[in-house]
Amino acid sequence: MTEKAMLFDTARCTACKGCQVACKCWNNLPSGDGGCADSMDFKGVYQNPADINGTTRLIMTFNEFEAPESQKRMGWAFGRRSCQHCTDAGCVQICPAGALFRDEETGMITHDANKCVGCQYCSTACPYDVPRYDKLAGRPDPVINKCYGCVDRIHNGMAPACVTTCQPGALQFGDRDEMIRLAHEAVDRLQAKGFTDACVYGEEEMGGLHVIQVLKYGIEDHGQVANPKKSVLNTVHDYTAPVVGGIAGLVFLGLAGMTALSAGAEKHDQVIYNPETTDTLDMNTGAVLKHGDGQGTKSFKQYMSQVPIFKKWGEDDHE
Amino acid sequence: MSSHENITVYPEQAQKNAEFIKERKESGKQLRVQRTTKQARITHGTVAISCILLAISGLFVFVPPLTKAVGPDVVFVMRMVHRVVGLIFCLVPIISLIMAPKGALHILKKNLVKWDHDDVMWMKLFLPYLFTCKWLHMPDASETKSGQRVSDGMIILVAILMGVTGLVLTANVVGIITLGITSHAVWLFLHDLGFFAICVLGMAHILLGGGIIGPYRGMHRVMFGDGSLSEGEAMYHWAHWVRKLHKEGSDELYWADAKTTKRIED
Repeated sequence: MTEKAMLFDTARCTACKGCQVACKCWNNLPSGDGGCADSMDFKGVYQNPADINGTTRLIMTFNEFEAPESQKRMGWAFGRRSCQHCTDAGCVQICPAGALFRDEETGMITHDANKCVGCQYCSTACPYDVPRYDKLAGRPDPVINKCYGCVDRIHNGMAPACVTTCQPGALQFGDRDEMIRLAHEAVDRLQAKGFTDACVYGEEEMGGLHVIQVLKYGIEDHGQVANPKKSVLNTVHDYTAPVVGGIAGLVFLGLAGMTALSAGAEKHDQVIYNPETTDTLDMNTGAVLKHGDGQGTKSFKQYMSQVPIFKKWGEDDHE
Repeated sequence: MSSHENITVYPEQAQKNAEFIKERKESGKQLRVQRTTKQARITHGTVAISCILLAISGLFVFVPPLTKAVGPDVVFVMRMVHRVVGLIFCLVPIISLIMAPKGALHILKKNLVKWDHDDVMWMKLFLPYLFTCKWLHMPDASETKSGQRVSDGMIILVAILMGVTGLVLTANVVGIITLGITSHAVWLFLHDLGFFAICVLGMAHILLGGGIIGPYRGMHRVMFGDGSLSEGEAMYHWAHWVRKLHKEGSDELYWADAKTTKRIED
């Protein structure tokens, strides 16, 4: 099977939200607590629910903007907010449990909620802020819940649920190369009609997305991320465990070496202090080791000259 | 104890010293130094065990092969252990501080004293000492050695870092707060960084404090025993301090049976 992709053409989308419903139906996901709508409160956005959540993997976004003079003054740029199925997927890279992985046949980023440990590291690695978490039967902690690209349907010769239901044909599915070709054709048509900001999104971003988009009004008006990048901190995180392990191992070896070198060292438990004479005494030999409580006057070299291999330092240093 | 070079004293003084030693040997007693209080030992012990449990349970998310090997159920148990123990790790020192604010202030003060010549020299000699402790005798130290002050300060700072970052990350995961993508990554990075520091500092602390390295043998009693040391052991590590206790007539110095080390009541 060649690499697959979905194509979303915003110029054709009517924002009917049929794709949202199809996603819920196929994945048996409940609607929000308030019934069909998550909340009747206006949250400053027209999409419903306001954002993707633990039981909503896909939403259509409604972005209002002031259109140029030549067009209608108030414009709507519909967008698709869901997993973009990156080739260079930070979530897959950072997931310690292997719960997020690439479907090698299609290129889609899918997940196994049963493997998810709920650490939510993936949410730090996604430039699109997609991973959400939901309770899973038998698991006390919320686990990953996101678009998995309907890979089960694809493996059985079907298109993803959202694509299947799209009446205006804004969503298409097929080989990635073909979807990119169609996207460029659509953008060319739009630009010819005067939509100069129209562009293809997903061809190169994050190593190439598996949701290719035709953005009629440009990247920002459709709520997409310009120049998405993996966080440097996520790359650092990838190396933290081996670096910590390596350095901790070296420190351990060093400490073990020190312990070995200290074997047979004198245990200094026979030193006593005579308050009357203010002398520090060796109980075994009776020697006076120090008189009073003054500060030491020796140099570094003189101290080190106690060590047999540095004995000469004491002779050299007359400080 | 400072470099063991014998010092010549007046005969009268030598006579007094000889009598002092003879009297001590014949008494069957030894002078001991009470280094820590029971509360300090309980606090330290709880935090130390918590720290080890936190490091072990944290590995189940920190090391991906381990996460994959044990599966989500074991990882879940470890994560819950991590949270509960993390709470203990944060709360116990705070409770201890509330119970004994004067003690906490004393710890703070003794770690912030001005460094004298011996402190500076001690720090300079510390690294070579670790490899040459069989021969090298360090300069006398006050109640805390200069290196101890640096190490304690770093351990306390890293512990606070781990506590705060851990609480923030937990609050995010359980939904009390919502971190943005970048801030979540930053908190996570700081927690990782703290773990790195804990690993290195912790191992060095265990080596010295646990008395694994030669001359430190028996030091574990300071925090995991009855909190006392013989005068000789205390003199080796904190000679300035012991002499100060003598001078002040401190009750932290007490007589004990030389063989059993049991306190002899006056």
